[in-house]
Amino acid sequence: MSEHLPALVFLIPFVTAICMPIAGSRDGRRCQTVVLAAFFCMALAAAATLWFVVRYGEIRYSFGGWAPPEGIEWVADEVGSIMALTLSVLACLCLLYMRSVPIDPLGGRTIPFYTILLLLVSGLTGVVFAGDLFNLFVFLEIVALCGYTLVGVPGGRALVSAFRYLIMGALGGSFFLLGLSYFYAATGTLNMADLAQRVPDLLASKAVIGGLSFMFIGLGIKMALMPLHGWLPDAYNDAPDAVSPLLAALLTKVALLAWIRILFWVVGAGNGGQPSEIFALVWVLGAVASVGGAFLALAQRDLKRIFAYGGLAHIGLILIGVGQGSQTGLTGGLFYLINDAVMQCMLFVFAGAIGHQFGVRTLDELGSTHIRNPWLIGAFVIVALSMIGLPPTGGFFGKWYIVLSAIESRNYVAVAAVILTTLLTMAYFIRVLERLVRVGKDAPDASRVETPLPLRVSLGVLSAAMIGLGLWSDRIVNVLLETTTRLGLGS
Amino acid sequence: MLELVQAWLQRPNLIAFVTLLLLGLFITVTHHNLVKKLIGLYLVQTSVIFFLVTTGAKEGATVPILLSESDTVQADLYVNPVPHVLTLTAIVVQVATLGVSLALVAGIYRKYGSLDEDDILKRLE
Repeated sequence: MSEHLPALVFLIPFVTAICMPIAGSRDGRRCQTVVLAAFFCMALAAAATLWFVVRYGEIRYSFGGWAPPEGIEWVADEVGSIMALTLSVLACLCLLYMRSVPIDPLGGRTIPFYTILLLLVSGLTGVVFAGDLFNLFVFLEIVALCGYTLVGVPGGRALVSAFRYLIMGALGGSFFLLGLSYFYAATGTLNMADLAQRVPDLLASKAVIGGLSFMFIGLGIKMALMPLHGWLPDAYNDAPDAVSPLLAALLTKVALLAWIRILFWVVGAGNGGQPSEIFALVWVLGAVASVGGAFLALAQRDLKRIFAYGGLAHIGLILIGVGQGSQTGLTGGLFYLINDAVMQCMLFVFAGAIGHQFGVRTLDELGSTHIRNPWLIGAFVIVALSMIGLPPTGGFFGKWYIVLSAIESRNYVAVAAVILTTLLTMAYFIRVLERLVRVGKDAPDASRVETPLPLRVSLGVLSAAMIGLGLWSDRIVNVLLETTTRLGLGS
Repeated sequence: MLELVQAWLQRPNLIAFVTLLLLGLFITVTHHNLVKKLIGLYLVQTSVIFFLVTTGAKEGATVPILLSESDTVQADLYVNPVPHVLTLTAIVVQVATLGVSLALVAGIYRKYGSLDEDDILKRLE
């Protein structure tokens, strides 16, 4: 039974997606409850997977009993199951938040909307667990297709943003497919474990270098790495408030996780090959993205745009850690990846809630509105602490390991980039916080100010998660260290 | 230089692939009409699929259906079927992307009454 757990995590949202027309046939409002129940069951299954993996080692699941490398294989290791747990819990919380921030012009599209939401989450699970490059591509495309559709839900402006996102995303997908066909042409296999045996010897081959570059460009578009980020701010800004937390938390992060998997699990950093040029490229681009993203965030007026550019900066920070090519760097990067997913979710929940309850979208409106809401302000303070990187939140420990790895490899430019990003992050968060607590003259309509219970739960759990990730960071980091030691990165 | 040209000419499939890819990228980037952008995108995706199929080709090989059940399988006699299978899935992804993109374009046209990117951007402001 237990070896089927990764497939179960995927199947729960997937089967629910197929059953959605039945669930919503009488009453469209029932859909939301069913989806929430599905995400809750999925979170339980993901927690069981994580427990099992930590206790008994990774699960390798081959579909239909076809043994890899011929068959399709899923690998649930520590990193994958932690990520699956994170994404299913975040999906639960986003759905709770969706109860208090309804999507306005949904009309008769309730059933398709929830179907696509479920397919998005099952696609994300697939990316996290996929043990073969082609499978990874297919799931990335499923995630992207659901992303385009969800961004376009409000119509009007959002359609144009979704179209731009689609052009960029589809080009990224094509480049990724091109890269993996280079890999296939060079090695004759697409299974990651099998590739890991063959690719490190072939690193001098032009086909492998070309394939790696194309994959990096493709995934770079999907993870919105700095020069390729054009689609992201518009897409997140115009996406409905109800889904932007889910998109912001997970779309770019899973692409980044896929790149980390290719870099460390396939190209194999630890086993002698040491393609140091690739790592240099990764951390330099990461440094550019982190500083550039933070500067651009400082220049924005819209709340959602500030947070979107802040997210770009944090992608860069993770790449700085990963690009050190050391155990500390990879562990720090992975830990920060989980933190970043939670933080981005929280920021967009905050932006959506404040936009819905107080009608506040920009910094100026925030300054002139009198906001007296302990839940929103408290949650914002905690997420600000985590984004800036102050203890006891998880953001501090993630950043700590990233800086530590940069110091270990005497890479002072990277250290400077992290510190500069931190200062800029502090600057734009203080700007928001100052306007948030200012006593403005516009009083909102009293009937809308009451925080609904589902929103309280989702704000509370997200804040607790950020502090919890800090308090129990040593445990999570130990689990991640074990995984990275198995990669041959240990000293 | 001559050897390089000879090496290129021996791989007409790769020349076709590169031509299609660059043409597609050029169309996607330069054209202002949204549908034409999609045509460019479609060309890029098709060129990649074309490249994937050609990696399975062998000289003198036939379709990968066993000629007789009793013989041991000789790999030289058949083309590699794996790229074809991958291609099928990639085509499905491509079709789905095209469907979603056309739906978006139809929505944009209904809202703004134009397919020209500059027109639409002007109206957005």
